[in-house]
Amino acid sequence: MSNVSPQPLFSATAIAKNFGGVQALRGVDFDVVAGEIHALLGQNGAGKSTLVKILNGVHPAGSYTGTIMLDGQPVSFASPADARSNGVGYVPQEIEILEQLSVAENVFAGRTGLGDGVLVRQRRLEQRAGEIFADLGIDINPRAYVASLTSAQRHLVMIARAIVMKPRVLMLDEPTASLSGTEVDALFAVLRRLKAQGVAMIYITHRLPEVLAICDRATVLRDGQVAFRIAREDFDAETFIFSMSGQRLQRLFPEHAAPVGAPAALEVRHLTVAGHSGAVHGANDINLSVAAGEIVGLAGLLGSGRSEILHGIYGRVHAEGEIRVAGQPTTIKSPSDARAAGIALLTEDRKRDGLLFNLPVGANITIGNLGPLSRNGVVRSGVEKSSILAAMRALNVKASSPQASVTHLSGGNQQKLLFARVLMRAPTVLLLDEPTKGVDAATRHEIYRLVVELADKGVALLIVASELEELIGLCDRCLVVADGRIVDEFGRGEGGEDRVLRSVTAAQAERQAMASRVSS
Amino acid sequence: MNSAAETGSPIADARSLRRRLISLIAVGEVGVLAAMALLIAFFWLLEPAFLSERNIRAILNVVSFVGIIAIGQTILLVAGEFDLSVGSVAGLSAVVAAKLMTAAALPVSVGILGGIGVGALIGLLNGLIVVRLGIPAFIQTLGMLFIGQGLIQVVTGGYPVYPLPEAINTIGGADLVFGLGWSFAFFIVAAIVADFVLRRTVLGRNMYATGGNKEVAHLVGINTNAYKIGAFITVGALSAIAGMFVMADLGSGGTSIGSGWELTVIAGVVVGGVSLFGGAGTVAGGVVGILMLKVVQSGLVVIGVNSNWQQIAVGVIMVMAVGLDIVRRRYFIAGA
Repeated sequence: MSNVSPQPLFSATAIAKNFGGVQALRGVDFDVVAGEIHALLGQNGAGKSTLVKILNGVHPAGSYTGTIMLDGQPVSFASPADARSNGVGYVPQEIEILEQLSVAENVFAGRTGLGDGVLVRQRRLEQRAGEIFADLGIDINPRAYVASLTSAQRHLVMIARAIVMKPRVLMLDEPTASLSGTEVDALFAVLRRLKAQGVAMIYITHRLPEVLAICDRATVLRDGQVAFRIAREDFDAETFIFSMSGQRLQRLFPEHAAPVGAPAALEVRHLTVAGHSGAVHGANDINLSVAAGEIVGLAGLLGSGRSEILHGIYGRVHAEGEIRVAGQPTTIKSPSDARAAGIALLTEDRKRDGLLFNLPVGANITIGNLGPLSRNGVVRSGVEKSSILAAMRALNVKASSPQASVTHLSGGNQQKLLFARVLMRAPTVLLLDEPTKGVDAATRHEIYRLVVELADKGVALLIVASELEELIGLCDRCLVVADGRIVDEFGRGEGGEDRVLRSVTAAQAERQAMASRVSS
Repeated sequence: MNSAAETGSPIADARSLRRRLISLIAVGEVGVLAAMALLIAFFWLLEPAFLSERNIRAILNVVSFVGIIAIGQTILLVAGEFDLSVGSVAGLSAVVAAKLMTAAALPVSVGILGGIGVGALIGLLNGLIVVRLGIPAFIQTLGMLFIGQGLIQVVTGGYPVYPLPEAINTIGGADLVFGLGWSFAFFIVAAIVADFVLRRTVLGRNMYATGGNKEVAHLVGINTNAYKIGAFITVGALSAIAGMFVMADLGSGGTSIGSGWELTVIAGVVVGGVSLFGGAGTVAGGVVGILMLKVVQSGLVVIGVNSNWQQIAVGVIMVMAVGLDIVRRRYFIAGA
C-alpha cells in the first residue's frame, strides 16, 4: 500500500459499472498525481479498459456510478471530446487513424485550422507536425500518407496526436504493443519529458519490464476490483505476475533443448523480397535453415525485414530464391502452395489479416481446413463441430460456443483461436509473426508452452517477436535481421538482448560508412 | 453463465425464454418474415382481395423473375462485390436470344444457350475487370448497365423482336401448379440449391470468407479472385435466364425487359439482411426480402394508394429494414 501521496490531480472514487447484468467494475478507487506515471495492470477482462473508457468519456457520465475529480473539482464527461477539452487525453490501443490523410493532418485531426480560421494551412501543419516529431525523436515524414505507414508508425502518429493537445492527464493503452526496442526508448524519453512537465499519466500495459522501467506506482485490477496497489520501491516482476494472476508463474519460459542431428525441415537460399513504402525493408539474399523440432527466432527492429522474410516464405508476397521443405525443392507462388508444402503462417495483426469477423468462432477455426471435414464439397456439420470442439479444448479457447462471435473474445482467446486454425492441418513448418502481441500474461505463457510442445513433436518453428527477452528466452537459435539482411546468429545462452542491439547497431553503422564512402 | 444452477426459479425461466427469443430473432430471416406476416395481415384487413388467388399468383409471378436475379446478387454480395448491370444483362440476353431464334433462324435451344452465354460473358468481363484491374464494382457495373442498354438498342434497332417461335410461347404459357409456370419452378429450385451451397458447402464457406476479409481468405489458401469472378459469372447467367423467362412470358423480345431491376433487386436482398459490405446474408433472406418488397408494392396497389406513394414506401421500407437490422445486430447478437 502506498503512503499518503500529494493531492491527486485526477481521481476516481467507488467506480462501478455493469453491462447487462455483468458487473465489470465493483467500486474501484484510482488516482494519479501530477508528474506521475501510474501503471494500470490486470489480465484481459479484469476491467482495465472499462475503467479507462469511463475516465475518458467513452462511457458517458450517468452510465456508471461513482465520482471523478479533476484538480479537486467533480467532473463528468459526456464524450471523449469533452474529456479532451478538459485536458484528459487518451491514446487507444487500436489504431484509429484516417488512412487517406497525411501524417500531419492526422496529428492535427479535428483541429487542422490550428485555431485561426477556416482555412487549412498545409505548410504550417506540416511544419508543426515536424517539430513534434523532432521533439519525440521520431523519423516520419509529416507529408507522407498514412496509408503507407507501418502499424508502429501509425501508433506513433496517434501518440503525437494526443500530445499535441497538451493534456494534463494522458492515458496510454498498451502504447508499445507495436513498437520495437528503439521506438520504445524514444517513447519513454517523451513520457519522461511529459512527466517533468507535470503531466499525470495512466499507463496500461501487459509488459512488465516497461512498468519496472518507467512507472512510479502500479494498481492491479482483478475481477473489477483493485487487487493490489504497489509502490515503486516494491516493484518486482514476480510480484506483478503473482498479483495479476493470483498464482505464481514458476519459470517464464519452458525448457527446450535444440534437437541434435535432426534433418532440416525448412531451407531458404538467396530469398529476396522487395521492400515497400520506403520505411520497410524487404529481405535481401536471406539464407537460413530450420531443423525439425528447432525453434529459431528472427530478431531485429520493426521494419527491418523480419516479417517480410516470413511473408516471402509463405508466398504472401512475391519472392525470389530457393525454398526447400524437408529437403525437397518447393515452388511457392501463393499461400496455398505453401500450405500444400506443410507450411503455416500466423500473422501479426489479428484484426487486419487474422480473424474473419463475419464468421463465428467455429468457422474461423475451420476456414481453409474444410477439405478433410467435407464429403463431395459438402461440409459434414457433425464432423466439423467435433473437430472444432476438440481444437478449442486442445488450445483452451474460451468461448461460449462455436457459434459465438469472435468480436467479443479477449485478445488472448482470439490469438489461441488463430493458433487452432493454423495447427489444424498439422504443419511441419510453422511461421509465427508476433505470436504474443496484445495477449495477457497467462495466455502468453500458454503460447510459450505450446511452441515448445510443437517443437518437441518435430515441428520446425520460425518466430518473429519484438520483445527480445521473449525471443531469446524461447528460441534455440536467434538470427539478427537488420536492413533486410541477417547480420548475426547465436545459439541459446550465447547472447542476450544487448548482443542483438549491438549487432544491429554495428550493421547500420557499417552500411552508413559504406554509403558515405560511395558518395565521397 | 451459471444458468444450470438457476433453472427452476421463475426468474431463470423468464431469462431462458428471453434468451431463446433472442436467439430466434438473431436468425436473420425471422425478422423479415415476421414483418412480412404483419404487412400481409394489414393489407388483408384493409382489403380482403389482397389474398385473392389472382393477386397471390401475380405477386409470385413477378417475384419469380426478379427473385432469380436476387439469388445471384446475394451470392455476389456475400463474396464482397455487387452488380448494377443485372437489369441490362437480362434485357440484352433476352433480345439476343430472340434475335438468334428469329432473324438468325437458329433452333430455340441454341437461342437460349446464346442468351445465357451473353449473360455469363458479361459477368466474366465484369469480374475480370473488377478483380484484375481493380476498378470498383460500382463503376464497372454501372458502366456495364449503360453499355447493355445501348447494345439492346443496337441489336433490336429499337423495335421489340416479335413473333417468337411457338416453343417459347409454350414455355411462357405453361401452368405447372397454381397457375405458375417454369420461371417459378426454376426460381424455387435455384433458390434451394444456392441456399444449400452457401450454407453447407466448402464453396459457400469460402465465399463468406472471401467477402468477409479478402486478405485473410487469401492467406488460408482460398483463390479469392476465382471466387469473385465465379460469383460475377453466376449473377450474369442468372440475370440472362430471368430476362428470357420474361421474354417467354410476354411472348416478345421487348426492349424494356429488365429496365430498372438492378435497384429493386439490391433493395430487396438488403431488406432480407444481405450485407452490402460483404460476407453476411443468406439466399433465403435475400429471397424473402424481395418477396416482402413485392408484397408491399402489390398491397399498396390493392388498397388503392396513389402510385407515387408506392415508390416512397419502397424507399422507406428499405432504409427501415437496414436500420432494424443494425439495431438487431447491436442488441440481440452483440448481447449488449
